[in-house]
Amino acid sequence: MRDKIVGGFLLLLTACSGRDPKFQQYYVQGEKLYQQHCSNCHQKNGMGLGRVYPPLAQSDYMQNNFDRVICLMRHGMQGEMVVNGVTYNQAMPGIPTLTELELAELATYIYNTGEHARGPVRLEDVARSLKTCP
Amino acid sequence: MKYTKEMKSFAKVAAACVWVALLLTQCTKPKPLPVFGQREVVNGDTVYHTIAPFLFVNQDSLPITNQTFANKIYVADFFFTSCRTICPIMKTQMLRVYEAIQNEDDVLILSHTIDPEWDTVALLRDFAGRLGVESKKWHFVTGTKDSIYKIAQTSYFATALEDKSEPDGFIHSGAFLLVDRQQRIRGKYDGTKEEDVNRLIADIAWLKQEYAR
Repeated sequence: MRDKIVGGFLLLLTACSGRDPKFQQYYVQGEKLYQQHCSNCHQKNGMGLGRVYPPLAQSDYMQNNFDRVICLMRHGMQGEMVVNGVTYNQAMPGIPTLTELELAELATYIYNTGEHARGPVRLEDVARSLKTCP
Repeated sequence: MKYTKEMKSFAKVAAACVWVALLLTQCTKPKPLPVFGQREVVNGDTVYHTIAPFLFVNQDSLPITNQTFANKIYVADFFFTSCRTICPIMKTQMLRVYEAIQNEDDVLILSHTIDPEWDTVALLRDFAGRLGVESKKWHFVTGTKDSIYKIAQTSYFATALEDKSEPDGFIHSGAFLLVDRQQRIRGKYDGTKEEDVNRLIADIAWLKQEYAR
């Protein structure tokens, strides 16, 4: 009986917060990875730097290119890209050592921060995206 | 006239007050920024370490020399555009300095590339444009590799070396150096730390006051 009450309460809590524990866990880990690997250039607040490094917090590119974003975190990218109508051209090195789990955590963080509210990015989403990498 | 006991104690209190006031003025008396580097005494005058003569080219292909900074205060650093470790943070912080001094006619910024083979004038021009800064205020300069490394080490006491074993191929410090009108170094700050850069911005104002007095 007591377990049921506690269980019910927990369910209610997660329902209220709108985030399941796994989402929360991915998000927190993702934030750590972001600070470690990405915030140097894209800034702690995800606003980017001038026309040198594009923003992530508000980004039509991210909205429209989920698969490519997953790929470029691991493999990097070069050449021009247009984000929110602004052309950027600074090579980004990939981080080949990032595991699929880490990619999912990072993506969960950046896709639910700033103006993004995509919800959790799961391992299977990452695996599917990685298959599309050039 | 005969001193009463009251008068004596009054005199004592007054003397104490004068002392405290003197001490206070000593404490609040503006303390000049230190002068960095070796100094020697020549014919009774102290000769300080100054920035050696240099000739570089900026993002507008204009020659940049010590003369460019005559009667100006400037902040110098060493970086390269393809650097992904500390430089992006340094540039974020230098942009804060730029914003703070934007309307000060006598304060400039001088960023040296330590990768002149990659960072051509055209690339530096593009980079400065992308940062959205004016070239008359913030010079991005290039030159021969040897001359840049030498001035970094001997004039600015900053580390700049090529090292293929490093992730980006270079070892360099993230220091920002504050140089006064006489081309003497008056402050060294960690350009990757916000608090240090706050101190730099305050010191620039302080140094300007030193000249205004």
